[in-house]
Amino acid sequence: MSIKRVLVANRGEIAVRIIRAAHALGIEAVQAVSAADRDSLAARLADQVVVLGPAPSKQSYLDARLVVHAARSTGCDALHPGYGFLSERAALARLCAEHDITFVGPEADIIDALGDKLRARAIAEDAGVPLVPGTDQIASPAEARKAAAKLGYPVVMKASAGGGGRGMFVARDDASIDASFDRASSEALEAFGDGTLYMERYVENARHVEVQAAGDGAGRVVHFGERDCSVQRRYQKVVEEAPCALMPEALRSELHASAVKLLSKLKYKNAGTVEFLYDVERGAFYFIEVNTRIQVEHPVSEQVTGFDLVQTQFRIAGGEAGALPRQDQVRLARHAIECRLNAEDAANNFLPSPGRITHWSPPAGAGIRVDSHCTDGYLVPPYYDSMIGKLVVTAHDRPSCVARLADALDDFAIEGLTTNLPLLRYIARHEDFITNNFHTRWLEQTLLPAFEQSIKE
Amino acid sequence: MSQATPADIENLVELFNRSDWEEMHLKTDGLEIFLSNDPAARPPGQAAAAAAAAAPAPEAAPAAPAAASAPHMTPAVTAHDVVIPAGMVAVRAPNLGTCYRAPKPGAPPYVEVGQKVDADTEVCLIEVMKLFTPVKAGVNGTVREICASDGQMVEYEQVLVIIEPDA
Repeated sequence: MSIKRVLVANRGEIAVRIIRAAHALGIEAVQAVSAADRDSLAARLADQVVVLGPAPSKQSYLDARLVVHAARSTGCDALHPGYGFLSERAALARLCAEHDITFVGPEADIIDALGDKLRARAIAEDAGVPLVPGTDQIASPAEARKAAAKLGYPVVMKASAGGGGRGMFVARDDASIDASFDRASSEALEAFGDGTLYMERYVENARHVEVQAAGDGAGRVVHFGERDCSVQRRYQKVVEEAPCALMPEALRSELHASAVKLLSKLKYKNAGTVEFLYDVERGAFYFIEVNTRIQVEHPVSEQVTGFDLVQTQFRIAGGEAGALPRQDQVRLARHAIECRLNAEDAANNFLPSPGRITHWSPPAGAGIRVDSHCTDGYLVPPYYDSMIGKLVVTAHDRPSCVARLADALDDFAIEGLTTNLPLLRYIARHEDFITNNFHTRWLEQTLLPAFEQSIKE
Repeated sequence: MSQATPADIENLVELFNRSDWEEMHLKTDGLEIFLSNDPAARPPGQAAAAAAAAAPAPEAAPAAPAAASAPHMTPAVTAHDVVIPAGMVAVRAPNLGTCYRAPKPGAPPYVEVGQKVDADTEVCLIEVMKLFTPVKAGVNGTVREICASDGQMVEYEQVLVIIEPDA
């Protein structure tokens, strides 16, 4: 291993995860903390700790110059950004490169290219990866009807210049196009000064699927299977699993191949995730975006492949020969589900509830993994996101995995602050979740109303 | 006197030196001082230890770097804690960075021990990636101790300079 000492530029459970992976490879870890995290588990596990600045992220974890300065002055030859914070800022990767610090992630130019949504779409299209089928500008209801016939109903009309839902409508037949087109166009004109509309195929029953991959920077890319992250609230993932059990095998192979094709074309280096919308009814998938970092939900892919992805990141970054396995060495077996544990009150509009954990008692046993930075007496600070850990369960198939998840959640005891454990327990025992019958809007549309009702009863 | 500062002790030693006294023995709640012109003298009912107290107050600074090389598995974050004597004001680092005592290499330092400063006097520079931020005294007084050396990495809130405010 050519990397000797790494600066961990993150906090919470992922900082702990990175330190452990580093130590396993004989790399020393320097933990950069804010004043609020001086006594954190990561600070205790690290070989050295440096205090960057005060608690607010902008003056500590989000300041790329501070973080790189800390790496240089503590003699680090590498920097791991984790997820969130600076992990997808090309500026950080660039600053590291300028100072001969190995950034554990892709090159700055790749982060830039994939971070720009339009450029990323163009790259995907160029690589032959399917996008949501759509049209150019549409001038009249007649043109719209013609386009809809080609795309197949339902379709969604959107404003060329806009976002935020203005000028947007869903049409299920010719009549609804005639009824809504003119109003949507004038709405767009009013809001954005441009009444031009375009059309996309509307995916009613969408799953969020994503392919975990890693590249060696020379054009070889290997995938570690896909994850299904369709249980979401306001685009925040709550439950993630691997594999996407309801996807037909042929489509799954196509999905993996698309992700590998896209990333190999870029000569992508290190770990990355290609996100797709899975249109269950039409049996198709469409590119959304690429995440150029290790993701929160990476453990489910580790559980079904047996690979340690954070160690793999270090080995690729360190230029180790054989860091990237051959594709035929990555065997997908078993089923894994992850739940994000948050210090928030699901019964009270998901209000964050920081505070002191008086009792922390995670479940244990076969197929149970808990990634967390929490301990008895730990104070969850109010400055950062509310995630306090991840429960990951693994079993030989999805039904047994769901059953094990429900039991493990029951065994989890956290006292002193409010957590989303009641909500997670409710999800794990819900008929739709057990039968794998849900989509990306299911949590908001179906589960939460039922959960709220169950609390009142 | 609730707690004596190094300055208080310096003043006492100076007073004693200027006087024609042979010995002085002072005892308060938190402090006992025995001063004598006779090197063999001892305070009543006590051994040699107190004699050391008569010496000029030693700089506390060398203790900090020694503690900074914290062993594995112990949080190093408390390593830079410096005891601030009562009545003194610590000027602390606004963020992590490299501390410079002079505006440029070779130039005289911003401040030295014993120097008078006012609130706007710059006492050092903190550099982060070639971005230099001056740190001001923040108080009118006299520099009593300089705790960070030139070119040293300092962490957020680490003590850089100790100032005795004007009365």
